[in-house]
Amino acid sequence: MAHLRVSDVARRFGAVTALDGMSFEVEEGEFYCLLGPSSAGKTTTLRAIAGLEKLSRGRIEFAGRDVTTAPVQGRGMAMIFQTFALYPHLTVRQNFAYPLERERVDRAEIGRRVGEVSELLRVGHTLDRKPATLSGGEQQRIAIGRALIRRPKLLLLDEPLTNLDAKLRHDTRAEFKRLHRELGMTMLYATPDQLEALTMGQRIGVMRGGRVVQIDTPRALYEAPLDTYVAGLVGAPAMNLLPGRVTGGQGGLAVDFGVAGIDLAPGARDLAAGTELVVGLRPHDIRLGRDSARGRTVDAVVHLREPLGDVTVLDLRFGAIEARGAIEAKMVVREEQGALIPEGSAIEVTIDPADLHLFHAETGVRLA
Amino acid sequence: MARPREIGKAGWGWTLFAGLISLVYFFPVLWIVLTAFKTRTDALAVPAKLFFTPTMQNFINVFYRESITAGAAQATEFPLYFFNSIFVSGTSVALAIVLGTLAAYAFSRYPLRGNDTYLFIILTTRMMPPIVVIIPIFLMFRLTGLSGSYWGIILLYTAFNIPFSIWLVKSFFDELNPEIEDAARMDGANERRVFFGVCLPQILAGLAATFVFGLILTWNEFLFALLLTGVETRTVPVAMARTMGGEVGVDYGLLAAIVTLFLVPIFIVTYLLQNQLLRGVTFGTVKK
Repeated sequence: MAHLRVSDVARRFGAVTALDGMSFEVEEGEFYCLLGPSSAGKTTTLRAIAGLEKLSRGRIEFAGRDVTTAPVQGRGMAMIFQTFALYPHLTVRQNFAYPLERERVDRAEIGRRVGEVSELLRVGHTLDRKPATLSGGEQQRIAIGRALIRRPKLLLLDEPLTNLDAKLRHDTRAEFKRLHRELGMTMLYATPDQLEALTMGQRIGVMRGGRVVQIDTPRALYEAPLDTYVAGLVGAPAMNLLPGRVTGGQGGLAVDFGVAGIDLAPGARDLAAGTELVVGLRPHDIRLGRDSARGRTVDAVVHLREPLGDVTVLDLRFGAIEARGAIEAKMVVREEQGALIPEGSAIEVTIDPADLHLFHAETGVRLA
Repeated sequence: MARPREIGKAGWGWTLFAGLISLVYFFPVLWIVLTAFKTRTDALAVPAKLFFTPTMQNFINVFYRESITAGAAQATEFPLYFFNSIFVSGTSVALAIVLGTLAAYAFSRYPLRGNDTYLFIILTTRMMPPIVVIIPIFLMFRLTGLSGSYWGIILLYTAFNIPFSIWLVKSFFDELNPEIEDAARMDGANERRVFFGVCLPQILAGLAATFVFGLILTWNEFLFALLLTGVETRTVPVAMARTMGGEVGVDYGLLAAIVTLFLVPIFIVTYLLQNQLLRGVTFGTVKK
């Protein structure tokens, strides 16, 4: 069994609180992602689970055992560090062998497992070289190999792609998914990059200020973020968060966010008129052109174009541009459409009320 | 990575200019080495001779010569003095490195409350010229009977080298990536193994540099050696000074031969460790 349970874990460094009541569970064989910005406490969480960090409070159970105060050595976990942390004075072969030597595995078995791992990661040609002579991608694979060679029950990954270039990140993402499928290992992966979390994680725990604020599948996180924080973190370009107010419209309530009234999605109709809101709208949910069958059409002005190759991101301004506090939002269109829209041009876009996410104006918590 | 540069790109003019400047700095050493091969007449000739018939007599005299008191030529004590210099410097610098490295690791990885204050206090012991503390140290040595013994001078030099060793070696430990140590712990290494098997091998170049710097300082030390060594434990700098007096005036050839021989061990050590030395002094200045 390789079930991990983290209960109410806190960690303070002097006056700084790194973890503040962190709780979550990882199922056996799961690929679990911790997503959050750099100060959210992801690294501290992984280090606490590994035993590298003492807890100020809380409990960590792993594989049916309370490991809260157990020594680092012998927890049956391995970790891949952001800096790879290879032993610079040892060759790749010696780096691989290091964890096995500590366990007093016999020489023949070490040789066999080194061969196995270097084949799995395709690094056989580097075995007799020192890490410093290898490329970033190779170093990354050596770090993975050194972690896997002990056949750990849990693999902790601390932003392992941060130090790689864009192309390698893409390849290595696929590599991690392949390894997870082939080895069926429990993996806990910390990342500040929502794309990594969404593409790899079976479940994602979104972190903020030393605690988990929402745990869900990637799909559910994207479709129903718990609050404006999660909404802003998941999805790229980030969800537009616009100020809104509930007004009495014809035939019911509507949300006015500077655009004119938009009929509320059903289910949110119990909001009192005059309630201040934050209205979330994914850039992908704004459609180009007039389409009264699908929603409400609004006028907008394109004030910036960012062509990304396959798609173009348009920065829109709703309402009078001269007016103070014009509402701005991003939308995404296909490249061939974007190419036809010069900056400064007026366009019509359609917004489906069902695509609106409503959040409480002060707390940011999801309303519907 | 540094861009590779053509060898000799600076051109002949600049190379020659640099060579001239170097020669000015190197001149005293060159002069001494040349003098070591001169006869007494050549050594004192005015104007100085650059071309002369070299003689080995001075070197023979270092180890085997007539003295006014003893009359016939006999062996000198210089083999002992050279042994003393090598033994005393080598042992005390090695001791200082061992103790300094342990202390530096502790300061770097297990900081005390007020760590910087402790480090500062350690440094203050080297802030004044050593001569300031010579009287108390002399009295302490007399009281403990350490005066004139190997242990006495070795312990003193060790104490002199420790602050410098701690500071230098600590900076090397500070430069290391702590995640590598955590990786070793997760791989099953205990703290002893983290230190000996992971941290220490990474700073070998730095230790070599520290060793050479310490050795040069200790090798040349004169003042304390003069006061605190005895007949049996006398080091070369002291013995050298003692050959300067005498009824026949200063024998410059002999003195130069001693100095030349005195340069050899330190030259060999530095030469052997030069690659490590360069890596040691540039430690941390190169992006990892």
